[in-house]
Amino acid sequence: MALQVNIHDILTQLYVNREVVEYLFAHRDNISANQLVAATSISTEQYQKLISLELIYEYEGMVFLNDAVIALFEDFMEIGEVTPGLIQDLLSELRRQMRYYQEVHEIRFLRGIKKYLKRIHSTISREIIKLQKNVDETYKNEANFRIKLQKLEAYREKRDLILDFIKNTEEILEECRKIFMLSNDAELYNIILMLKAGLIENMDYLIEIQTDITDFINKIQYQLDVYVKVQQLKEIKDQGNLYFRTNFRQVVEGLKPLRLNGIRGPRTRIAVDFLYTDEGHALSKKFAEKYKISRMMLRGLAGKLPDNFKEKLIDRQIKLDVSNLVDKFLAQNQKDLFLFIMETKFPKSAGEITFEDRLSLFVEIAMEHEKKLEFQYTLAPYEYEYNGEKRKLKYTVILPAKIQKRQPLTVNW
Amino acid sequence: MDFINDYGLPKQTHEIFAIMARGHFISSNGTKDNMGRLYDIINQPENFEKLQNYFNVIRYNIERGSNYFYFSKINEPNSVIEKKLETFERYVDIIDLFASMDNKITIGARIRPSEIAEECIANVRLKQKLQKIPLYRSETLVNKVREICELLARDSFLELEDEDSETYKVLDAYNYLLEVMNAISIYEDTENNTDNSGIIYN
Repeated sequence: MALQVNIHDILTQLYVNREVVEYLFAHRDNISANQLVAATSISTEQYQKLISLELIYEYEGMVFLNDAVIALFEDFMEIGEVTPGLIQDLLSELRRQMRYYQEVHEIRFLRGIKKYLKRIHSTISREIIKLQKNVDETYKNEANFRIKLQKLEAYREKRDLILDFIKNTEEILEECRKIFMLSNDAELYNIILMLKAGLIENMDYLIEIQTDITDFINKIQYQLDVYVKVQQLKEIKDQGNLYFRTNFRQVVEGLKPLRLNGIRGPRTRIAVDFLYTDEGHALSKKFAEKYKISRMMLRGLAGKLPDNFKEKLIDRQIKLDVSNLVDKFLAQNQKDLFLFIMETKFPKSAGEITFEDRLSLFVEIAMEHEKKLEFQYTLAPYEYEYNGEKRKLKYTVILPAKIQKRQPLTVNW
Repeated sequence: MDFINDYGLPKQTHEIFAIMARGHFISSNGTKDNMGRLYDIINQPENFEKLQNYFNVIRYNIERGSNYFYFSKINEPNSVIEKKLETFERYVDIIDLFASMDNKITIGARIRPSEIAEECIANVRLKQKLQKIPLYRSETLVNKVREICELLARDSFLELEDEDSETYKVLDAYNYLLEVMNAISIYEDTENNTDNSGIIYN
C-alpha cells in the first residue's frame, strides 16, 4: 500500500486517522461511505486522502479498512479467523533450521531454532484462544442455524488440526533431543521447557473446546428437537386436548419467573415528605392533570413573601392601635362611636386611613369592646362620598357606657 | 454505595437488580444495558454466591438457566394462573410458527418481522398458522409478526438490535421457553383411542 513508506509514516497515519480506523475496525463487516461520514468527523477531502493512501478502500458503496491493518489489530487482540496453517509453516521452518544446524553447528541456525520454537509456542496459544472465542461467538451470535452447525463442524476440524500440530511439535522435540543436548545452550533449554509446559496446557484447552463444540452442537440439536415437540403440542392444542393429553397445566403452573406470576417489580410508595417539596408538588400536579383532579390543579404554589413583610406587620399594629382609640372615645361624651371614628385625625405615621378602614375599625371596636359601650338601638344617618358621588348609610348609635353613674350593688344579709 | 463494598458485592448489583426485579432475564448474548457483562459478573462463582445470599434476604432468588439468569420470589404462592396458561398457550402458537419456518430460529439468530412475514405470505401453511395466533393487531401479516416480536422482546427473549432495520436478536433466554416446552409430557394414547391416529407431525 502507498502507506508503506516507513514505520513512522504508518504509525502517524494510523494515529491521525484513529477515529476512522477505530470505527471501521468495529464495523468491519459492512459500513457504507455515508454512514462513515455521518458517524465520524471526517471530511470529504480527508476521506479521499485515506483512499489514496490505501488505508481504506471502497467497493460498491461500502468502505473497508485495509486488510493489513485489520490483520495487525486482530493479531494483537487475538481475535479473527483461526489459521492453524500458520503453525504448519512454522514447524516446516523449524525443521529446516534444525537440518542446517545438524550440518554446521553455527550459532545463527541455533538462533533460528530458538526463534521458531518461541513463535510456535505463541502461535499455538493464540490460535487456541481465537478458536475458543470463535466457537463461543458462533454459537451465541450466528444468525443462520445451518451455517452455525457448519461453522461449528469446521471449528471442530480446526481443533483437530491444531491437536495434530501439537503432537508434531512434541515429536520434533523428542527427535531432536540430542541436538538440543549437544548445543548445551541454557536459553534453548528454557525455551523448550516453556514450550513443553505450554503444549500440555494447550492440550487441556483443546479438550475443553472439544467439549464446548459438542455441547453447542447438541444444544442446537436440542432446540430442533424441541421444535418438533412444540409442533406436536400445537397439533394437540388445535384439537382442544392440550389440557387433557399433556401435563401443560402442571408445568406452567409451577413456573417461577416474576413476570409470569404477575409480579411487576418492587412495590414502592412515594414518601409523604417528598410531596411537600417543590418536585413533589410538580409530581402531584402531573398526577392531578392525568386524573383531572381540578381542586389540586387550582391550588398553586404560594407566592413569595415580600422581604419587608415584618416591617409591614409593625406598621399595621401602629396604625390600628385600637385600645388607645377606645380609651380616647370613652373619655369624651360629645360624639357617638361612629362619628368619633370618622372624624378622628389619625397620626401621619399611621398612613392613610380610608373610609373602609374606619368602617372596619367601627365594627371591630363595637364587637371587641362591647362591655365598655352603650348600644342605643337607634339608627343615625351618615352621608359620605364614594367615587365622587354622595351616598347615605345608617349606623347604630353607640355611646360610652355610663358606668360611673350606676349605684354600687349592696347586699342585704 | 458503601454497603456494596462492605458486603463485597459487585458494583453492578443495583443494575442486576433493576433488570431482574422487573421480571426480565439476563442473557449472556444480550447487548443492551451491558447485559453480557452483567451475565459474566453473576456467573462468577464467588459473585453468584454473594448476590444470591444478598437477594435472598429480600426474598428474591436467582435462578440459573442455560446461559441466562432470572429472579423468582421465595415463599410467594404463584398467582394469576389463568393468565399464565393463556400466555403459554400463545407461546405454543408462536414457537410452532418459528419451528415451521425454513430457517429455524435458534439462539443468536437475527430476525426481521418483514422477512418472517414474507415467508408466511409465500407459504400457505405458515400463513394460516400466523393468522390463527390470537393477537390484537391483525390488519396485516407484518404487523402481526411485529407484535409477536415486540411481545417476545418485552419478555426479554428477544432484543431489538437495530431499530432502523428492525432487526431482533434471539437471546439465550429464549432457551427458557424451549425448556418449558420440553418439560411438558405428552401422555401416550390408550389402546382404544383411535381418534388421534391420524395426527401428522411435521
